[in-house]
Amino acid sequence: MARFDSLRAAVGETPLVGLPRLSPSENARLWAKLEDRNPTGSVKDRPALAMLAAAERDGRLWPGCTVLEPTSGNTGISLAMACRSAGYRLVCVMPENTSVERRQLLTAYGAEIIFSPVAGGSNQAVAVAKQLAAEHPDWVMLYQYGNQANIEAHYRGTGPEILRDLPTVTHFVAGLGTTGTLVGAGRYLREHKPDVQVIAAEPRYGELVYGLRNLDEGFVPELYDPDVLTGRFSVGAIDALRRTRELLEVEGIFAGISTGAVLHAALAVAEKAAGTGEAADVAFIVADGGWKYLSTGAYSDDFYEAAARLDGQLWA
Amino acid sequence: MAVTVSIPTILRSHTDGAKSVDVSGGTLAEVIDNLDNQHSGLKSRLISNGSLHRFVNVYVNDEDVRFAGGLDASVADGDTVTILPAVAGGSTPAVAGVAGG
Repeated sequence: MARFDSLRAAVGETPLVGLPRLSPSENARLWAKLEDRNPTGSVKDRPALAMLAAAERDGRLWPGCTVLEPTSGNTGISLAMACRSAGYRLVCVMPENTSVERRQLLTAYGAEIIFSPVAGGSNQAVAVAKQLAAEHPDWVMLYQYGNQANIEAHYRGTGPEILRDLPTVTHFVAGLGTTGTLVGAGRYLREHKPDVQVIAAEPRYGELVYGLRNLDEGFVPELYDPDVLTGRFSVGAIDALRRTRELLEVEGIFAGISTGAVLHAALAVAEKAAGTGEAADVAFIVADGGWKYLSTGAYSDDFYEAAARLDGQLWA
Repeated sequence: MAVTVSIPTILRSHTDGAKSVDVSGGTLAEVIDNLDNQHSGLKSRLISNGSLHRFVNVYVNDEDVRFAGGLDASVADGDTVTILPAVAGGSTPAVAGVAGG
């Protein structure tokens, strides 16, 4: 059945496609879960729409309400779509060094954007949003970093879909942001197949983003559960961009830059398995398509120029 | 041959501004001890009470050591050890997130 009552209802049930050319061997296979096939084009439709639905069920939202959210883009875009149709005002706090397309999409959907400083990346967006929430007690902050509905969306959706479509799954790889995808889907998978490896791919940004960050302070999303993860890779802009282009050129999948980082980690574990002769079915998340990053030149410019430019941006 | 340690901006006051330092060592703990011998004071910025500081992330060839034995993680000549401050993401005992929201 592919008929839905509304766009919001058409979330999830995304395709899982094999990568016959990029997989290291016949027994060590890669599978891409195409989360760009969601209503607003990213995996964030799952948590965003689930958080909104939970707040509506709890009676916290009604037409005219203001919704507030720290976001690097995709969650905001998803919320903006749903908020506009429901009659809520949306205020997004977003780091100032994100791609122009994200800003344009948010504006097109009617969201208001408050920019947070580059240094510190999403940490700063969270800090600014928390401050705004304190100043405006009537605003409703869904707060994806700590909202259980984020985890639930992946525990009830992403995880079961992967296990149903790939019962032989051995590894699950996704990007590390709010930790909702990894903790939610990973927890479901490990409850049903305890040996499944849950691997995080964390973007490693340029020095501009880390800046002079103090080693005595940090931010761990409230949703994070260290017991679910079994490994974690740090992937820089060059590897992320190289894999993004490889995925496009070899398998025809036009994905965003963060997916390149996830593929880099997925290939590392698949190649390790292929080397020891173990069978591996590695499922990884394609968080979004490449459309929102075209202006960065990531797909068309000289590789090293494009990578150097990405280094100073929040590309995931 | 040695292990190359990449130093984050915030700690370069200890290394006279050097972005990376070559040291020897077979485990991460040995690497950090040798690093501290060359550049005094670094160890105390990275380790407290015998384990990695909460908001410091250390990777051996891009893989987080907290999932690979922590301070006992083995390193070999030619490996790259990357030290990073946690950005939207720190670690207790491991992790968390940058961006992606």
